[in-house]
Amino acid sequence: MTLIPRTGVDALKFLGIGLARFSNIFLEVFRTSRAFRVGLVIFAVMIVLGVAVSSFSPFDPRRWYLVPPNRPPSPEFPLGTTTNGQDVFWLLTWSIKNSLIIGLITAMVASHFGLILGMLAGARGGLADRILMIMTDSFVVIPSLPTLILLAVLLRDVMTIPLMGLIISIFSWPWPSRQVRAMVLSLREREFIATSIFSGYGVMGRVFRDYLPFILPWHLVNLTNTVLFAISSEAALAVIGVSILSEATLGVMIYWALNYSALFRGLWWWLISPVITIILIFVSLFLISKGISDYSNPRLRWQARG
Amino acid sequence: MSKLLIFIASRIVAFVLTVVIGVTVVFIIPRLLPYNPVEAQIGFIYSIGQFYDPTAIESLRQTLYELYGLKGNPVEQYLGVWRRLLTLDLGPSIMSFPTPVATLIGIALPWTLGLLTFSVLISWTLGNVIGTISGFFNHKKFSKLLTGVAVVLYPVPYFILALVLMFTFAFLIPIFPLGGGITIVGVGFSLDLVLNLAKHAALPAISIIIPGALGWWFLSSFTLTSQKKTEDFVRYAELKGLPNGVVLRRYLIRNILMPQTTALGLALGGIFSGALLTEVVYAYPGLGRLLYQAIINNDYNMIMGISLLSILGVSLATLLLDLLYPLIDPTVRYR
Repeated sequence: MTLIPRTGVDALKFLGIGLARFSNIFLEVFRTSRAFRVGLVIFAVMIVLGVAVSSFSPFDPRRWYLVPPNRPPSPEFPLGTTTNGQDVFWLLTWSIKNSLIIGLITAMVASHFGLILGMLAGARGGLADRILMIMTDSFVVIPSLPTLILLAVLLRDVMTIPLMGLIISIFSWPWPSRQVRAMVLSLREREFIATSIFSGYGVMGRVFRDYLPFILPWHLVNLTNTVLFAISSEAALAVIGVSILSEATLGVMIYWALNYSALFRGLWWWLISPVITIILIFVSLFLISKGISDYSNPRLRWQARG
Repeated sequence: MSKLLIFIASRIVAFVLTVVIGVTVVFIIPRLLPYNPVEAQIGFIYSIGQFYDPTAIESLRQTLYELYGLKGNPVEQYLGVWRRLLTLDLGPSIMSFPTPVATLIGIALPWTLGLLTFSVLISWTLGNVIGTISGFFNHKKFSKLLTGVAVVLYPVPYFILALVLMFTFAFLIPIFPLGGGITIVGVGFSLDLVLNLAKHAALPAISIIIPGALGWWFLSSFTLTSQKKTEDFVRYAELKGLPNGVVLRRYLIRNILMPQTTALGLALGGIFSGALLTEVVYAYPGLGRLLYQAIINNDYNMIMGISLLSILGVSLATLLLDLLYPLIDPTVRYR
């Protein structure tokens, strides 16, 4: 049985086709879906804040007592300052950056792992499929938060932002993997798969040549959802006190605001800034993923037009 | 063997597998670490500087070694974890040494269970009813409005919404208290006591009900209904001249409930996690609060106990829900 890609040229060709298809989907969705456009604009603002604006910070906003504490929003401190003497605005831009990094790492690791595992399980079938699915189902049902908390507590001394992304990945692959397998199973009986098998393509060949193009739009939706899931998981861990409390992430900001009873003491700007930012990120990502999934489901596309 | 028996057996097997895999994951984690967590903690207790009964410390050390699965050979270690879990003997808590972990969890559990059962039942029922009705009339204005609300609510996690609600209804418009489970513990049972409990539970409950009812359960039942209502059996019912109410109740809701029950089973873990965090936000005296205190006090024993019990509890709840399934799906009951 042959494996794909057979030569380096083939590999480049497939990569090219994949990229072309990717940008086609992107342009088409951008043109047809308003939800996607709105989501993309909000998300772009967040990226600008997190990546570009954050680098103009005049000081390291994580450090305590660099600015006078407990100041309400003013021209000097646009979003006020915290009890720890941190500037909320600069802290927020750094937090957006770190939270996005965590989301991105999880999306890169977990959703691709889930994608490949799901496709292999579905395409190969038999005993391997059954064992993989029993594992996946158990991971879906295990309550992820207590297990994540346990892991984060045990790794507290060596925790970094990328490691946080990796740990959250442990619980972000099973659900996509299940969905991908279901899609592959529904494709498996189609005639072109039989053609592929008789043409001598192996499991890997069929996975990349036949199944992947069908699953690609769904995979894009899943990528955005995974970013969303990872950012909210980190925030959840932070709220309960097991994130990296000396770092700047959206969750850690909320943690310190709660820890110092910001609302009770009237320092509303401290708590509400990260909360609104998180909501904006979530809604924008959800709109983006909704735009892509409406596009990839022809029945819904028809409904939207009609 | 009848279909029903096969169904029940397969669900029980799935439950056992989940618990075994979950506990095994918790068993493996501490062994991958480069340092010995048990001695680190014993050192932590000594570093507080108080005098403890040496036999109590020794019993704590034994418990920790067994709970972390670090005592004897690997097989003994693994069986030790299971023995501790099945007899609910989770050893002493470190932050309230030497009160057993099981006792503290026993005090916190009713708060979480009460809050969770009440809110999940309400949000699931409400969400499905509203979602099915809006899906049936999906061109009306109110259903477009509700869908818009759901799109914003759906991706936002419970605890973030809890923070927004707390800001609005305890800070801007102070109707509800900022946190806590109860203010005055009166003597005996009285109306005041019930009202006080309800007032403190209201915001945490609403924080769990709203995102479920108007977000997740609404969106999924809305989508299911809009798809189902284009199917032939529904068209036939409408062409027969049946009133909308009958089509909704006898044709649509029944078909929506089955997938939605399965979805509830799969979502329980997430809802449970959400409830834990909501409790932290409102300082509600349930398991979440206990877990939070355990984390800031480095009480690994308690964290371990709560993690193991959550895996057991959520899987058990999912199993019970699965076993109720034949009551609503007739195709499982008969051959």
